Amino acid sequence: MNRFLFLIFTFCFLSCGSGSEPTDEIDPIDTGKDRKLVLTHLADEIIIPAYANFKVKFDLMQSASESFVNQPSATSLSNFRAAWVNAYVEWQKVELFDFGPAEKQTIRNFYNIYPANTKGISDNILDVSSNLETPSSYAMQGFPALDFLLNGVGNSDTEILTYYQNVSEGNKRLAYIKRLVVRMNSLLTKVSDEWNTTYRETFISKTGLDIGSSTSLMVNGFVLHYERFIRSGKFGIPSGAMLNGVVSPDKVEAFYKKDISKTLATTAHQAYIDFFNGKSTKTGTEGPSLKTYLNALKAMDSATGKSLSELLNTQFGLASAQIDILKPNLFEEVKTNNQAMMAVYNEMQKAVRMLKVDMTSAMSITITYTDNDGD
Amino acid sequence: MTATEKYFNKLSPAAPLAVFRIGFGFMLLASIVRFWQKGWITDLYVTPKYFFNYYGFEFIKPLGSYTYILFIICGLAALLVAIGLFYRFAAVCLFLSFTYIELIDKTTYLNHYYFISLVCFLLIFLPAQVCFSVDAFRKGTLKKGFVPQWNVDVLKLMMAIVYIFAGLAKINSDWLIHAQPLKIWLPAHNDMPFIGFLFNYDWIPFVFSWFGCLYDLSIPFFLWQNKTRPFAYFAVIVFHILTAILFPIGMFPHIMIVAALIFFSAEFHQKVLQTISKFLHFSPDLLTSKDIYSIPRYRKWIFMVFFAFQLLVPFRYLLYPCELFWTEEGYRFSWRVMLMEKTGYTQFTIKDSDGKQMVVNNNHFLTTLQEKMMSTQADMILQYAHILEKYYAKNGFNEPQVYVDSYVSLNGRLGKPLVSPTVDLAKQKESFFYKQWITPFNDNIKGF
Repeated sequence: MNRFLFLIFTFCFLSCGSGSEPTDEIDPIDTGKDRKLVLTHLADEIIIPAYANFKVKFDLMQSASESFVNQPSATSLSNFRAAWVNAYVEWQKVELFDFGPAEKQTIRNFYNIYPANTKGISDNILDVSSNLETPSSYAMQGFPALDFLLNGVGNSDTEILTYYQNVSEGNKRLAYIKRLVVRMNSLLTKVSDEWNTTYRETFISKTGLDIGSSTSLMVNGFVLHYERFIRSGKFGIPSGAMLNGVVSPDKVEAFYKKDISKTLATTAHQAYIDFFNGKSTKTGTEGPSLKTYLNALKAMDSATGKSLSELLNTQFGLASAQIDILKPNLFEEVKTNNQAMMAVYNEMQKAVRMLKVDMTSAMSITITYTDNDGD
Repeated sequence: MTATEKYFNKLSPAAPLAVFRIGFGFMLLASIVRFWQKGWITDLYVTPKYFFNYYGFEFIKPLGSYTYILFIICGLAALLVAIGLFYRFAAVCLFLSFTYIELIDKTTYLNHYYFISLVCFLLIFLPAQVCFSVDAFRKGTLKKGFVPQWNVDVLKLMMAIVYIFAGLAKINSDWLIHAQPLKIWLPAHNDMPFIGFLFNYDWIPFVFSWFGCLYDLSIPFFLWQNKTRPFAYFAVIVFHILTAILFPIGMFPHIMIVAALIFFSAEFHQKVLQTISKFLHFSPDLLTSKDIYSIPRYRKWIFMVFFAFQLLVPFRYLLYPCELFWTEEGYRFSWRVMLMEKTGYTQFTIKDSDGKQMVVNNNHFLTTLQEKMMSTQADMILQYAHILEKYYAKNGFNEPQVYVDSYVSLNGRLGKPLVSPTVDLAKQKESFFYKQWITPFNDNIKGF
């Protein structure tokens, strides 16, 4: 036992001794490769505050939805719609945290699978006991279902209000809105509660890189999000780049509202870049992140000496620039300017390869998620 | 008498072969049980819809759920070898069943499985059952006290080949000058207790790389010498335990630690057997025999051919142009262990003359592991392309063409296409010739 303690003591001494040497070279090595610092920063400065921000917007939407359900009017409709837009945009800043509690609750799938299944929604309205917890019900709830219920059930606000004032079914329709929002709230509460209580500690302490550790789960979720939900979902599928040239403008995000689809994509893409760079949601300054970790590992293009993080940021920038030239309504863009949509997809595809191959390989992380049918 | 004749007439007590047989048999049995218990039989041999044959071994077919029976045969054979019952028959079964399993799917290729297959082959022809075995117990005439020394040396030589070729393979610029891939792999363990912090230092991967290379090249010689053997064996234990902790390589380190005992003196092995004997209350005369086993002459030739083959095969890569690590033509069966961090991404497109086009979802065809391995290895990319060709020919495509958009990174280099995206892979044939459609590496990894 004594010998064991001595061993620990020796190692502690060695590690402290080397850490406190007053040379500049040692310092960045010791902290840059410390995954606990990265995980802590991401949890405390980005993930948890981003959920808090979203919760604020979500609560506003919930109260606006209640006002509308209690008394459908032109004003309450427009308030609800505006609050829905704000919440939907804010959601784009947390959707990417598809690991840990979010993955456990599959909140992403219950919140944002589109296009909405309008037939399923109509059926569910009539059946108050319909199951909203199965994968087949993904497209009947969340933001896309609210999109349909707020913007797609009539051609004008008057028609939409008429839909809810219908004598026989109006109340059922309003009740479904309430049901959806309550369900979203309960999922969100579960996810953010877990982050605020037990999961933060789990997240920052499981610093290994083996399958199932925090960094591995996070990187897997992070890469998957870009590939499947930003590249494919927002651009690849509607533009037909993914599905053998079958152009599907009806598969854009916020199809019924239409004019916010670009804003949603821009917000999601920027949130993604900010997370990569460790930009604090609270202060806007950058901290330990995937970028600093890659830099500490000295991941670079040996031919040019450019760092991988720089190359990734350049590629993200190229994709952003292609999004920027789009008009706000991506439904129209697919129909009239699809080449520009394809161009976004192509730039994003290059980023996917870099994330999936160059980044994971530099970090020695195995990609364990599998492609789905969308691919 | 020439020195060669003298050597071939030299005798050794039979104990080292017996200890090796027991140790190897039980380790193999443990590997089989572990494999089963982890659910890998289903994951690797039952679940996949398609398998990657070895070129020339297309007659090896997957057995579906009968694979379990194959594993039972293999496990039983390992047990029989260990206890020395129906030894020759068991050794043949063990070699055939184990090798069959390994030949089903390239995806699971590991050098240490190849090593096990080879040792099983050697055991068929070695008199490992003449001492301390059930066979020798049942039939007294089988029991021998001595075997030709070279029969024991055959196993040492096999071990030495593995180490030395693994060491030679490390003499390359990525390993020694850039400390790759350890530079990538070691920092991943910087949160390990006690030694983790070391992996934050840039020089540590160099120390590990150089030490690993020197270890592989020198350890057989140090194990062979009486004077250095204890230290060498201590190094074997430290080295393999360290690799077991750092890398997911399963039973291999433990098998090597046990197998390396073969280098110890005959007296050592006799003591081991005496200890086991005492512990199990066997009668002491189980170990006493002055008879000499005389090995049939033809066996010598089998071993000669075998080792000539072993010495040549790892060098077959010289017959191919382009960088070995990139093309992997001549990479397998050459003791190139843990030399590459290679990650790939492949997206296949099927086209036909009617203008039909479709992007393939790899997961409809392959398991995650198969996709991962296929994405970095050109011959598997080709095999998969042929699987796709056949499938889409039956599913609405007229003479399908198969193209791949590949992106592969090797030892910290940025990714780039492994296969030319404009080549119709459906038209390419597998052969031992150089694959022209692999894109040039445009970099130089110097060395073996």
